[in-house]
Parts: sequence; structure tokens; C-alpha cells
Amino acid sequence: MTTHLPSADTLESFHKDLDEIRDDIMAKVGQEDANYIRKIVRIQRGMDLVGRLTMVAGFYHWIFWVIGVVMLGCAKILNNMEVGHNVMHGQYDWMNDPHLNSREFDWDAVADGNSWRRTHNFEHHTYTNIIGKDRDFGYDTLRLSDDVPWKDHYRFQPIRLIVLMLMFEWAVAYHELFGERIFIGKRHKEGKLPISHAQLIKDFFTKIRLAVFRDYIFFPAVVGLFLGWPMFFAILGGNFVANLIRNLWANIIIFCGHFTEEVHTFNEEECVNESRGQWYYRQILGSSNIEGSKVMHIMSGHLSRQIEHHLFPDMPSYRYMEAAERVRQVCAKHNIPYNTGTLWDQYKTVVARVIKYSRPPKKTGEVANA
Amino acid sequence: MSQAETSVQSGSFFSKAHEWVAQSLTQQNKISAYLEPLIQMAVPGWTTEAIRSKVIQVRPETNDVYTLVIRPGKRWKGFTAGQHLQITAEQNGTLQTRFFSVSSAPAHFRKTGLIEMSIRVQEGGRVTPWLREAFAAGGICNLTPAEGDFVLPAGNDPVLMIAGGSGITPFRSMLSQMAATGDKRDAHLMFYVRDEANALFKEEFEKIAAQHENIRVTFMNSAEKGVFSAEHIQEVCPDFAERKVMICGPTPMIQLVRGVVSEQGVSAENIMFEYFGAAPIELDRADAKDAYVNFEKGGVAAMSSAENPVSLLELAEQNGLKPLAGCRVGVCHQCKCTKKSGVVLNTLTGQYSDTGREDIQLCVSVPVNDVVLDV
Repeated sequence: MTTHLPSADTLESFHKDLDEIRDDIMAKVGQEDANYIRKIVRIQRGMDLVGRLTMVAGFYHWIFWVIGVVMLGCAKILNNMEVGHNVMHGQYDWMNDPHLNSREFDWDAVADGNSWRRTHNFEHHTYTNIIGKDRDFGYDTLRLSDDVPWKDHYRFQPIRLIVLMLMFEWAVAYHELFGERIFIGKRHKEGKLPISHAQLIKDFFTKIRLAVFRDYIFFPAVVGLFLGWPMFFAILGGNFVANLIRNLWANIIIFCGHFTEEVHTFNEEECVNESRGQWYYRQILGSSNIEGSKVMHIMSGHLSRQIEHHLFPDMPSYRYMEAAERVRQVCAKHNIPYNTGTLWDQYKTVVARVIKYSRPPKKTGEVANA
Repeated sequence: MSQAETSVQSGSFFSKAHEWVAQSLTQQNKISAYLEPLIQMAVPGWTTEAIRSKVIQVRPETNDVYTLVIRPGKRWKGFTAGQHLQITAEQNGTLQTRFFSVSSAPAHFRKTGLIEMSIRVQEGGRVTPWLREAFAAGGICNLTPAEGDFVLPAGNDPVLMIAGGSGITPFRSMLSQMAATGDKRDAHLMFYVRDEANALFKEEFEKIAAQHENIRVTFMNSAEKGVFSAEHIQEVCPDFAERKVMICGPTPMIQLVRGVVSEQGVSAENIMFEYFGAAPIELDRADAKDAYVNFEKGGVAAMSSAENPVSLLELAEQNGLKPLAGCRVGVCHQCKCTKKSGVVLNTLTGQYSDTGREDIQLCVSVPVNDVVLDV
């Protein structure tokens, strides 16, 4: 599918309007943003600690176990999304805080932070929704556009979607290795990545060991030692469910950001030598937003403002709400589509899209994508 | 800093196990780093990285020099006269870090628990003018352990101290320490000042010199006498050749004095000097606006011409380095690295950086003056 481009003049003035929004907002970044992210980190740490403790109180009544699991799940979501994703983008590097530094930070998940930084910050944010370049588009397992050639196994992709949701952190962990066809298929030649395959595999397993030790050995064993075997399994199971909650939520939010019905895809030729205005335009057409409450925005790591995040990936997440209001006005002014809706509405179109492209394309020539 | 390094090197099985468990449970190198935000709720400004300390007073010295009087936290172990340290304070959400010499004596610290740092306000600077305002009513800052080897040489050799402007601070520490401990070493200070009004600590030095036969202080008024020269030293301190020469001041002054005293026959091992911040890159340049970029890890110094500036990433690659890079347009942050000193222009935002240590993106940064990079 080729995307119809607005005129060069429109793109130029669009580009200027967006730069102005960025400059205005970045000039305001300071103490307020630092206080905000520190507050979120405090809440996250508190929920992490209290959640794990409350789960132990499940020894007295199962309801505590349930509360603890939900709190831990929420702590993991905050850690991965509002703190991890955004800090690892470099949004808070200006604070010079070694614990909130994009190169130092790692998250509570099985995916190695360095590996994610390489695929996400570079591949996905530079080549957003370019088929064949942005492997986040469908994660190599889903066919979400007719530009992806049909293969028979795509018939089962609704089931794949469910598996991907449940195992999302593992998919993210394996994402870069899969790109190199390590463990599956014929391994690609070395040299495309800045690190060797051996190092990639080593980092992959190191991070998995660290994460598995915490959730499935250390905490269950400590509690089990004092309170007996049933509690060993209660904590192990609780941690498993907390990880599951995080996987489901992260996956839903992320899919609503790029795979809703209206989101466009691009091919490589279209993006050769693209102007800054064209790049902005591609980011807007390639992303979609979610409307909802303040808590929903924070829990989504402000990826509910996916469009603004893609326009200004290193703007502190705290500023995306105010950026969104202005970006929306600029889009309206230039007659450029701005895709947003409630979580439920957006996710319905994601599911519809997954089902739609699980059917083989019609034989007659090119099929336009809505 | 050296303390942290030794503790890592002496990494026993136990400390490695602690680090591994901390990584697993908290994704941090130390459990305390995970707890830091929670501890800060009770103790604002507490960090795992440095020692929480209190600024007690900001004392004006001259128009553009002030002294911070600081009570270092309990973990701060003391210092040797002449050493410097890093002070970190939060400015509008950013942790700003600067190096300063301690200008008071270790004996003063032992007696009162206080240290002093005397700071010149840099014109157009982001931090030095702000520190004075921000701590006017006291406040919390963070200090690193003292470091540096610009200290009185071992033994009892006579010394000649040559100071320019705020380069006086380590010498004030040394001389007041000698006075406090009754050190009998022969010391002669030549202190170059812009004019009478900028003669820092004048009364104090005159008092010390009057009370101690072994200490001499000569104020050199640049407005009258001009910059440092061979005649000055021959006239003021004729036995300079038998002394160890210690120099501290602005970069051009240090370069001038080093040149002159070497010509006068003082051997290199008898000359000690201290720059503020990173040492400048001593190479000839075609245009005064050209900037040298020192890629420290790569061991390469390269020139960036003012006429055809290129990004630091391109400069590194032209000089055979291969820093990690991705999108090359400032989106992906893969080429991010630490700038140790110098000013760069961010071509994406059109903003100039600070002069101190901070993270920059190589692909959208152009050097403005001499830059030292941890690449």
C-alpha cells in the first residue's frame, strides 16, 4: 500500500508546527518532571514491597494473596512502562541521575534491557511501520497488512495473538535473537548487530536467570522455608500470575498503539530520503492513541499517547498529555488524520485486524487497506 | 573515587554474590540503590553515590568570589590540603556536579567538622552563579571523597607556590594547615591578582606570613606588574631553582608559568600544577574557534574545524573509531555517551550544553570548544 502524501508545503508547515510544540514543551521540562518520575518510582517500589508482603499474608486468608498479586502486577507494569520504557528512551537523562539513566536502567522482566534498547529505540522508532524494517510490526508472528506476503500458517494467528499476550515478556526477550534466527531456522550471518551472537545469547540467558531466580526461586523459597511447602507454591504461583497480568496489559496497550484498524504501513522505497515533515507524518499515521482516566494513562506509561511518543520519543512522558492537545489541533489544521479512541474501541479494531488478515488475500491484484 | 575502585577490585565471593542477588531482586547493583527513593522520603537528598552534606553558609569574599561553608556527612573521611572533590546539587531537577578544591585546612575540619570551598562565579555559567543564590539560606548537597595529588610534596623540601586568581584555593588550604600544625617547611607564595580589590584572603595571608618565619607571601598585582615573567621570579624568589614549584590558576597562566620556569632551569619533576577540570588539549590550531575533541577511551584527539563542523559521531568515525550508533538523527539514543567536559551544540534542538559532565548524543552534537569524551 502506498500512502498518499500531503503537499510539500503542507508537510513543511506541519513540520514547523510540531517543532514549535516540541521546543515550547522541552523548555518547560525541569523540577516538576523530576519530581513526577521520582514519585512514580517511589509508588512502584512501595507497591512492589507491599505487594510481595501482602501475598505472604495469604497464609492467613486467601484474599490477601489476591490483593498482593494484583499489587505486584501493577508494580511490574509501572516498572516496565512508566519508568522502564520511558527512562530507557532517555526521557529523563537530563536529570543526571545514575539510577534513572537510559544506559544504566534495567527492568523487572525477562527481557535484557540492552537488547530491547537496540531493537526498540533504533529499529522500531526509526523505521516505524515500514514493512520489512520494523520487526515490531506484528513481531514477526502476526500478519497485520496485505503487504506481508500470505503464508498458510497465518490462518492460526488469532491463537498466536493469545499466546503472544500471555508470554509477552518472553517474546520481547527473544525478539532480537529471533531476528537473527538463533535457535529457530537458519541462523543469519554475524555482523549486522553491534555485538556477537555469542554475547547476545549469553546476555539473553543471564537476564532470564536473574528474573527466574527472583520470582520462581528466591521469594518462594524464603517464604516456603518459614511457612511450609504450600506457601512455596502460593508465592511461586502468585509471582507467575503477577507476571501474567503485566504481560496482558503491556501487550494490549502496545497493540492499541500500532495495530488498530486505521494505522498505516509503509514500504522502504517511500521512506528513502524522507524529509523531517514526512517522518513526522509517518509517525502520526503509524500510531494510535487511547483515551481514558489519569490512572490509565500512567499505567500505560503514557503509551496511550503513542502518537506524541513517536513524534518526540525523548520528551519526558509527563509532558505527553499537554503535547497531545496541541498535536491534535495541528493535525486538524493540516487535515491529517489523528487516530484515537477508548481502550475498548481501539482494542476491538486490533482483534478485528488480526482476524481480517488471518484470511488469505483476494486474488485480484492489490488490496487497499481501509 | 579511589575507595570505590578498591572495594570493587577486592571483590570477594561475598560482594559478587551480593551484586548478583541485588541485580536479580532489584535490577540495581546495590540493594540500597533500590531503596534510595524510599529513603529519600525520610532523608531528602540521600543518595548511594555520594555523601549527603549540609551547606551552612555562603560567605562573600569579593564581588565575584564566594565561599561555601559545608558540614560534610559522617561518611566523609577527611582530606589532605590541596585536594579537590565533587559537589552535586539539584538545579531544577538536574543533578549538577562540579569539581572544587577545598580552601580550608584539614586541621580546621578536625576541630570544627567544617570545610570551605571558595568559588569564582563564571560569567554566563550555569552552576557557579546559581549555587550562591540557591544555598544563600543553607541547604543539602552531596560530596564525593576528596581526591587528587596536588598536595605538598613528601619530605621537607622548600616550595614556591604560584597562584593566579581563584587558583589560590589549594594554597590557602596548605598554608593554613602549615600554620595550624607548626610545619617548619619553607614556603613562598606568589599570588597574582587582577587588582587590589580581587586579592582574595589578603588579611589572612598577611597574618600567617607575619606569624611564621618560614612562610612568605608576595601579592603580585597584574594591573601594575603585568603577567608572570622570568624577571618576576628572579626578583621575588631568587632561590626558586632549589624549590619545588607548584602552580594553580587559569589554563593560559599555568601554561605560561610552566614554560618560563622550565626555561629557567627547573626540571619537570620539580614542577607540579593543577588545572580546574580536565586538562586542555595542547595542540596547535588553525583558527582560535577550532575545537579539539579528545576521545579518551579510543586514545584519539581530533580537530573539529569551526568552518565545517561535523557531528562528534562523524568525527569519531573519520578518526577510525567505531562508537555504537543507530539512527544517526537523534531518535534512538544508541550513540549516547558521557561528555566529561566542554560545550557541545545539539543540532536537533539548537541548545548548547553545560560545561560539566553529562550524557550527550554523538550523532546530533557538534563541539563548540575543547571537549573530552568517554569514548
